[in-house]
Formats: sequence, C-alpha cells, structure tokens
Amino acid sequence: MDQNISVTVNGLRYERRVPIRMLLVDFLRDELGLTGTHIACTYEGVCGACTCEMDGKAVKSCMMLAVQANGRSLKTVEGLATDGELHPLQKAFHEHHALQCGYCTAGILMNAQEFLRENKSPTDDEIRRSLVGNLCRCTGYAHIVDAIRDAAAQMRS
Amino acid sequence: MEGSVAVKESWVGKDVKRKEDLRLLTGKGQYIGDIKLPGMVQLVFVRSTHAHARIVRIDTSKAKSMPGVIAVVTGEDIKTKLKSMPVPVVVPALPGKFPQFWPLAVGKVKFHGEPVAAIVATDRYLAADAAEAIEIEYQDLPYVGSPEAAMKPGAPKVHDDWPDNEIFSLGLTGGQTPEDIAKHDSEVDRLLRESPVVIKQRFKVHRTGVTPMEPRGAIANWDPSDGMTAWVTTQRPHIDRLALAEILDVPTQMMRVISPRDQGGGFGVKAPFYREPILVGYMARLLGRPVRWLETREEHLMVVSQERDQVNDLEVAADKTGKLLALRARMVADNGDGCEGVYWGFVMPFLGAALFPSSYDVKMWDIKVKCYVTNKSALSPGRSFGAFPTRFAMERMIDLVARRVGKEPVEVRRLNMIKELPYVTATGVTYDSGDFHKVFNNLLDRVDFKGFRAMQADARKQGRYIGIGFGTGPELSGVASEVLVPMENQPGYGAATIRIDARGKVQVLEGDAPTGQGHETVFAQVIADEFGIHPNDVITGTGDTSHTPFGSGTIGARAGSYTVSAIALACRHLKAKIAKIFAHDSKITAGVDDFEFARGHVTYKKDPAIRKSFAELANRIIMAPLNLPPGEQAGLDYTAFFEADKPMICFSCHAAIVEVDVNTGRLKILRYVTSEDVGRMINPQIVEGQVQGGVVQGLSNAMFEEFVYDEHGQQLTSTFENYKLATAADVPRIEVTDACTPCPYTPLGTRGLGEGIPGPVPGALVNAVCDALAPLGVEINELPLRPNTIWKAIRDRATK
Amino acid sequence: MYPAPIEKYSAPTSLAEVLGALKGNSGDAVCIAGGMSLMQAVKARVVQPRHLVDLNNVAELSGVQVGADGVRIGAMSRYVDVACEKRLHGAYQALCDAAEHVGDRQVRNRGTVGGSLCWNYLAACTPPTCIALGAQIELARINGSGTERRTIAADEFLKGPLATARRDDELLVSIKLSAAPKHAGSAYKKWALVTDALPVVGVAVYLQTDAGGACTSARVSVGGLASGPKRAKKAEQALVGCRSGDDAKIAAALALAAGELQLQSDMWASADYRRLLIADIGKDVVASAFARAAGKN
Repeated sequence: MDQNISVTVNGLRYERRVPIRMLLVDFLRDELGLTGTHIACTYEGVCGACTCEMDGKAVKSCMMLAVQANGRSLKTVEGLATDGELHPLQKAFHEHHALQCGYCTAGILMNAQEFLRENKSPTDDEIRRSLVGNLCRCTGYAHIVDAIRDAAAQMRS
Repeated sequence: MEGSVAVKESWVGKDVKRKEDLRLLTGKGQYIGDIKLPGMVQLVFVRSTHAHARIVRIDTSKAKSMPGVIAVVTGEDIKTKLKSMPVPVVVPALPGKFPQFWPLAVGKVKFHGEPVAAIVATDRYLAADAAEAIEIEYQDLPYVGSPEAAMKPGAPKVHDDWPDNEIFSLGLTGGQTPEDIAKHDSEVDRLLRESPVVIKQRFKVHRTGVTPMEPRGAIANWDPSDGMTAWVTTQRPHIDRLALAEILDVPTQMMRVISPRDQGGGFGVKAPFYREPILVGYMARLLGRPVRWLETREEHLMVVSQERDQVNDLEVAADKTGKLLALRARMVADNGDGCEGVYWGFVMPFLGAALFPSSYDVKMWDIKVKCYVTNKSALSPGRSFGAFPTRFAMERMIDLVARRVGKEPVEVRRLNMIKELPYVTATGVTYDSGDFHKVFNNLLDRVDFKGFRAMQADARKQGRYIGIGFGTGPELSGVASEVLVPMENQPGYGAATIRIDARGKVQVLEGDAPTGQGHETVFAQVIADEFGIHPNDVITGTGDTSHTPFGSGTIGARAGSYTVSAIALACRHLKAKIAKIFAHDSKITAGVDDFEFARGHVTYKKDPAIRKSFAELANRIIMAPLNLPPGEQAGLDYTAFFEADKPMICFSCHAAIVEVDVNTGRLKILRYVTSEDVGRMINPQIVEGQVQGGVVQGLSNAMFEEFVYDEHGQQLTSTFENYKLATAADVPRIEVTDACTPCPYTPLGTRGLGEGIPGPVPGALVNAVCDALAPLGVEINELPLRPNTIWKAIRDRATK
Repeated sequence: MYPAPIEKYSAPTSLAEVLGALKGNSGDAVCIAGGMSLMQAVKARVVQPRHLVDLNNVAELSGVQVGADGVRIGAMSRYVDVACEKRLHGAYQALCDAAEHVGDRQVRNRGTVGGSLCWNYLAACTPPTCIALGAQIELARINGSGTERRTIAADEFLKGPLATARRDDELLVSIKLSAAPKHAGSAYKKWALVTDALPVVGVAVYLQTDAGGACTSARVSVGGLASGPKRAKKAEQALVGCRSGDDAKIAAALALAAGELQLQSDMWASADYRRLLIADIGKDVVASAFARAAGKN
C-alpha cells in the first residue's frame, strides 16, 4: 500500500515513502510542509486552488496521487520567487491589489506563470479564459486580470 | 495640515499596498489548515444521508476497531455529557423560536447532511475509512421541503416538540400602540384600495449564498493550566468564546478563541456559532489531545452558505406621478432547520424586512415576515445579509410602477428617493447621513443615461435588444448597538487597543477577525496619519480573545466604520498625553492641536525648534517617566471604544447595461457601473476591490448559483460542478465610481463598505433585462436569471 | 474526499508492459490516463482500484501521426496538444474544437482524448465528436500468449453513460480517422451555464461536400444526453444537398435532430431548451463545418 518516491520540488529532491492513495496536494502540504498550495473543493477538481506546476505544466495537485510525481519535477508557490526576488507576477499582484483573502492566490500564480510562458502578450479575454480553472470569491477577478496583464508587459521588456 | 516645517504626509486616502500580501503571495499564509499542534488528531463528521428520518440504530463497533481510530461518538454518547444549544449569548432578543440541538443528531435527522457521528483518528484518510464502516439504520419520515409544505395544517413537524413549523413571525408596521398600529394598517389598506395605481406582484429569490473559498475548520486543545484554546474559522471570536465557554462549561477566563491570522473569506458564512466547533472542543478535552476538524467543500455546500430563498408578495399603492404611497409586503422564507447559533436562519429575513423600504421615502408600510423550518440546512448569512431578496423586490417594483405610469424608472426613483438625512424608515431603521441623489446623479452621469436611450433606440431598429437597469441600497455601515443588541444579543461598538512601544512603534489590537479585507493595511494607514509615522511602523493583532478588547466581529462593515473610529480615538487620546508631557517638558503651555505629528516627529507649530522624534517621546514616557506633569502616569497603552451617535449607512447605486439574444435568452453584460458613498476613503484601491468582488458575487448568485434539494430532500449541489461559481470568463469588469459625503458621526468621516454590495445587483440586472425586453412586454420577477429562464419568459409572453 | 486504500501502483513505460499488467484483469486493475474524470470517482470512492496502472509514462501512447492512410491519435494525447494540432484542421477540426474547450487549461494539460472516450461521461465532448468524425477505436489486449488488437467504430464503442465496449483487460490504444477526403469539414460546440463547463448540450457535425459546396454526406452527433452520445441520423440525411447559407433547410435538419433524440429535463435546462440549444449550436457548427470543408477556417 506504500511506495517509495523521489520527487523534486522547488529544486530540492525529496525521498519519501507514501501511501499509494495519498493525494499529491496532501503530500506537498502535510508531508513536505509546503502549505502554500491550498484545497478548496472536495473531489471535483474545479476550484484550482491546488494548482502547481509539474514538468512545466500547470496541474491540479488534488487530482493526482503523490506516487504519480515520482521522478518528476514540481514547482509550488514557495518556489516562485528566486533568490529572494519576487516573480513579476507576485509584484504585479501586490501592485494591483489582486488578492484579498489570498486563498486562491497560489493556484492562480502557478497557473498564470505557466500561461505567460505560453502566451507572452495575452489579451484580457485570453487572460480571463486562462483563469477558468481558478475560482476566486473575493476580487471579482478584475484586479487579477490587471496584474497578469501588467506582469506580462514587465516580462516582455 | 499646511503651515508647518514639512508638508505632512497623509496615508489616509492613498492606495497603500497591502501589508498582508507578501506572506500570501509566497505561500506563507497561516490558515486553519496550516496550523499544526504536536499530537494533533483529526476529526471527521459522518453526516446523514436522509433528509428527515428517525435514527433507529447506529453501529460504531466496526469503525472503532479500525486502524488509527481513537474515538467514535454519536448523539446518544454526548447528549447527557454536553449542554445543548441554545445558550443565551447566541440567542437574539427577537420573537422567534430557538430549537434545542446538540452537535450530533439526537433521535432523528432533520436534513441531508446533519452530523450524526464523529470519528477521531490519527489521520483523515483513516478517518474516512472508518466513516464508511459506521452502520446507520434510518426510518424515513415525510420530507418537509418548502414553506408551503411546512405551513400546511397537520404538516409533519421538523421539530417534534413544536406546535407547528413556524420559527419566526413578525410584523413591521407604523405605530407604537395597538391602536396606532391598527390605524396605520387601515390607512395602508385604504391606500391600497383607493390609489390610482395599485400593483401586486410576487417576487422569488432562490436559495443561494456567498461561499468563501476556504471552508470552515476548528482546532481545540485542552491544557490544565490554560484551559481550552480553540482556533475557529470565525468572524466573531469573542462571541464564539462566550458561547463555547457556556456550552462546554469552561470558566470564561479559561476559554480562548483564536481566529487564524489568515482566513480564506467569510462573507457572513463564518459568522454563526455552529455545531462543529462545539464537538471539536468537547472531544479535545475528553481525549486530552489537540483535535482538528477541516471541513470539506462537500460538507460546506451541503450545510452552510445557503441564504436568500424567499418569496415576497409586494403590493404597492402610488399616485399617477409614480410617487409611492403605501407598500404591503408578505415575506415567506425557507428557514431550513434553524439550528444555528446567533442567526437561527431567521435573523437575515428579519433584517431584510427591516431594510425593505431601502432608499425610498415611503412612510406607509405594512410588512409581515414569516420563516418556516424545513428539512434543509439552516439559512446562514450571506453578504448583503437578508437584503438581497428585498432589494430585488423593491427595485423591480419601482420599475413596474414606472411602466404603469408611463415614466422612466429613473424618474420614479428620483421622485421617491430619500432627500433629507438623517432619516428613519417606517420600519424604524435610522440612516445617519449621506446624499442619495448625489450618488444617483453621479451614476446617471457615468452611464450617460441619455446617450444610452439614444443608443437603445438605434439598436432596436437593428433588431438588437439592449437595456439598462438600476439597483440601489443603503447598506449598514457597522451595526449600532441599538440594532445589534436586540437583533443578535451583541453590542455594536468598535474597540481597539493601541500600544506604543519604547521605540515609537505601534501595535494595534482589536478583537474582530478579518477574512481578507486588508484590515492590517487600513488600520496602519489611519494610525500612521494620526501619529505622523509610517504604516510600516505599525503591526496589527486581531481575532485572539486573549489579548484583544471585545469586538462583536467582522460583520456589517464594522471595520471602516466602528473599528477605525475606535482606533482613531485611541490614537488621539495618546496624542493628547504625548502632547501634554512634551509641553510640560518644554515648559510651554500648549494643547495637542498646537503640535504637529508628522514624519516621525512631534513639532510645536509656533516654534519648530521645539521638536522631538515620536520614538524619543515614546521612550521618555515609557522608559524614563521622571518629572511627568502632575496627574500623569507612565505608559502609552490605551483602549478606546466607539459607538456612533446614530446607526450609520453607506449608500450605493448600481446600473447594469445588458444585451439579450431573444432567440436563446443569452445575456451579455455590456457595462456594470456602481456609484458609492464611502464617506472618506481610507484606501481607494481596497474599496474598489471590495466592490469588484461584491458585485461579481451578486452576479454569480443571480445567474449561476443555486442550492437544489430534490423531492426527497437530497441536496444535489454539494460540489462546484453543480453549485457553479462565476469564473473570470463569465463576468465583466465593474466600473466603480464614487460620490462621497463624509460621515459626520465618525472621527475620520469614514463609512464602512462591503456588507451590502451584492444587494442592488439582482435589481439592476433584472431591470436591465426587462428594459431590454420591454418591446416584448416581458417582466421577470424571479431568480435565478438564466438563458433558459429568459427564453421561457419571452416564449410565455408571446403565447399570452 | 480520500481514495480507498490502493494496494498496488504500476508506472509502465511501454505498451507491452501495460497490457501485461491488464492481462486477465476483471476489474481489480484500473488504468489512469489524465485522471481528470477518474480521480473524481476515485476520491469519491465510486471507483476503488486495487491496482492502479499509470499510463502517463508510456511515450508510445502519445502523439498524432498523419499519413496517406489517415490519422492516428495516440490515446494519451493531451487535450492541450490535440487543441493546437493543425494537421486535424479542416476535416477533423471538430476534435480541436472539443479539446480546446474542455474544462480549463489545467485540465487540458493532463486530460486525454483516450481517457475521455473510456470514461464516456454523458456530459463530455470527445465522445460525440469521435462519433461524428466516424472515428475508429483501436483496442489491444493480451489473449493467451499473443497481443490481440481490434478496431471498432466509435458509435459501437460508446454506449450509455459511463459504459463502453472496452473489456477490462483491454487498453484503448489509439483513435483512427480515415484519410481526410477533399472538401470535408467538421466542427463542435457546446453550451454550459458557465464557460467551458461540462456541456448541457454539445453538437458535433462532420460533412463532406462536392466541389460546388453541396453536402454529399453528413454525420451529426449530440452529447449531453442522458442516454449517452447519439447520432441524429434523420438530421444527417436532411443535410445532404444543403449548402452553406441554406438557413431554412439547415434549421429544419437540426429540428429533426432535436426531434429524433431523447432530450431530458434537469436542473440545467428543460427538454424544450435543449431542443433550442441543438438548433442554435447546430447552426453555428454546421456553418463552421461548411466553411472548413471549403478550405476556409
């Protein structure tokens, strides 16, 4: 029922023995203590608060098992800033008041940072569409769109 | 504040970026799910799969012996060991009924999702395994699924010991004595009989609410010396503390409640006193270990966030100009089982009734509100707290009157909108101040109302259906004690402790629990302005009953109205003390107004050479309290309390401009504009954020969300697949504008904003759709508003 | 919320290994593709695999090959990749339409077309689209000592909701489409209450035209039905001879589709509204299919 896995998260490699059924999000939060990734729905996988990056793609970590991350490289919100320098998205979110309670924020950041690698000059409509998998209750999304647009501009220059 | 050596920097009114952000952006938030205590174990609830049934038998023997399981309890196990609800501190002074209940069902279950057992295990996976091993035998009882079913004579009783299913019934009408009331009512009758314009309309709002992204949770720990410490996702830690102390029989000084520093939204859902933390506390003490419960989304959608759900029959009398003469409202709300501390399901409809008159000057009101218990989970508060259905009814009715008398809805609003404030509504609610017409006119400017009508005429020629609709509402800006004491048995004052340390840095402590509103930042701005220091020099502590003054909670926009006022008063008290001591030290005669507090220094205005840094003065008063003025003591801590002279409001008007595709009923919001009177704004960007979020919640409630129970009482909407929230691609950007009048009753002129924002939304939206479809004669008076309902309304009208 | 205990987890790297793991399987072994549907069921304990076989490391199951004999789409092709697969444009573009709008971008990063077909949820996009495209489903299993492959039409593979013709010991290996004829086009569109949510109704249309643009054959499939994805054969016949712009005839054909299918009423839409949706969505989809058949996009 348990399996050994080796997972790289934010550049650090972790060797652990986990139950096969353990969800990846619980592995990140409870096993590795990386509580920045959040859980906001049950089994439906709709809210996106658990979004992190695996092998360069934004994925919902509640919809995967930890064992599926064996041998793979993950990035969570804790790994977004590099050498103490905030990512342009983090800076832009701060500038544009793109977070209120912050519960959905990590998932949005991890989705958006992958989205912006794929689409460097998104329109507002494209940004809004990219956020369909991340529910937010507090902000009404407008400031989040502003922040992502601004971060994209910063990253282009 | 000119005329001093340096221009005084002002933080209030600026878009200061939030102090909360850094930790939240880097994954360092401390939400309830992030708190770990050594030896902590996990509690999981087993919930009823039946809507209404006797519990015949619960067999927990298998579950008890499963791996990792520490304890399994049922209602029978706890009912003799734990006090039942209600306890007085969470019972309002309103004429309702307050059902007895325990955290686990005893004898029978009353709704799909009611907790019937709880498992404590070393981890939640193992607890989930054990939950499956619990065997429960139910004997079904007839399902009472609506107020209609509940009110039928001889209906099955939701609460067996009640005479019927009515939990709350109140009339709000003019007059104090029975004679006056009778006179008033007969005048309302007369006006409804004899007026030139009489309209009768039923309005329906579905069951929906404002689910926060973070579900609920509780952790409790019992220590022989400290007593019980409970972390609860609550907006009201001080209230929860009193209630938990009472129910768990813990002396209050040994009961500490902490709202986690970070909470993922509340919106009223985290305001009641619920079943679950009671059991968590009880089990923690029983087991002698920290116990944690984290709600799943499924549990959350099954049992909380359900609000609105009302039928309002409104009759209006008006004259030929559209001036409203009298209104009669019969409100019926689907209360759910009512087993919920503080609100009992019915306090929201009660306030909605009290706020029914809304922005309009109508003295002749006759309102009766009735709430019925049903086999559903109790209504729990949702932002705009009771006003969502009544605002909808009122704003729709204004438009119906306008169409009847052949006038623009804008004109009928102008005709009836309150002109003079302060104003007391026919239901006894005081609106302290503001200029409603200024706010409304600003909105009309911003939407270019005249231009729109021209655009609409053109569009109609092209076969396009566009429309504009308005919604308004004075929301509570804080909740005055004169309202909150009877309504919730709780005081409304704001309280804050300011502690200046020996280095001139400041800590502010206040007892309410923020859920994302940016209080740390807003408070720091106010304090920085008062003391002339930097917001970075301020740190905030909230939501811990152990070291904060009493606060009734983060409800009703208290922060911007009551709390910052208490903070300002506390700061001013300390400024006066500092000024007095500094004057004494400088051997001058001067009062606090003779000094400027700016740029980290305190400077005597008449002689700028008399100047000391704020930090120096703090150090002098705290660490070297020699030669103080007579009667003064050392120290720079102060707690201030603020109660406004009048209950206060914050007024806003909304406009929606929509396009309807009459072939499919599909709706596009072309523009959504608000006009707000926030009094004096502390942080405009935070204000705008509140409006963006609140309006989108209102739109999502109106168009996408609905809690659905089937004919057997099975709740069908307990996942986000079925309870659909608006995504970023489904809603527009809201244009937020302001037309402010400072509040004369708060020290800073601020008003609290946030609570009522979704209230005007359904009226604005549906009025816009009906305006668009006016050529087809379609009137919609029911929510939710969806393409299929719009399409059906168009077809039904065409076949008439 | 949490899966039931899972006894065994395998992460094979070749098709042969997968088939070996499934040999003689009668339900204990469950394959996980993207997991976007399966994990919902596993977490809800509706599905309780004893042995989970992870397909995400089997490179040979991914990829789109286009040759003279047609198109072969590996079962593990992710929605994100199918959505931007330009070689499907024109005749088979409906599959791009469907993939582009499944769920959200996180779902599209993981979810696969093969997984969607095997799950055959009633409110899904890939199944009706494959039916409309006349896709052939390639299955493989180990029978005795050898590998047995078979190919069946999508209409036969997809049965009622959550039911397919796949045997427990079989793996869906690929989706095959015949070589695109000249003048063929397809499109898919759905309606849901919020953006890109599970379809209340989804309509896929594939049509071939002659050189003049008149429809010579059509396939129409509707998803979101309680009965599972279905073809609307009367509508297909009625589209023959139509041209782009023959609005009345096309509307009549779509009305036939609505008439011949069993439409349910539920909390999202009445049967009447579903009828309207088939007509409305169908109109856009047919127009798009015609345009693509004519070489426009």
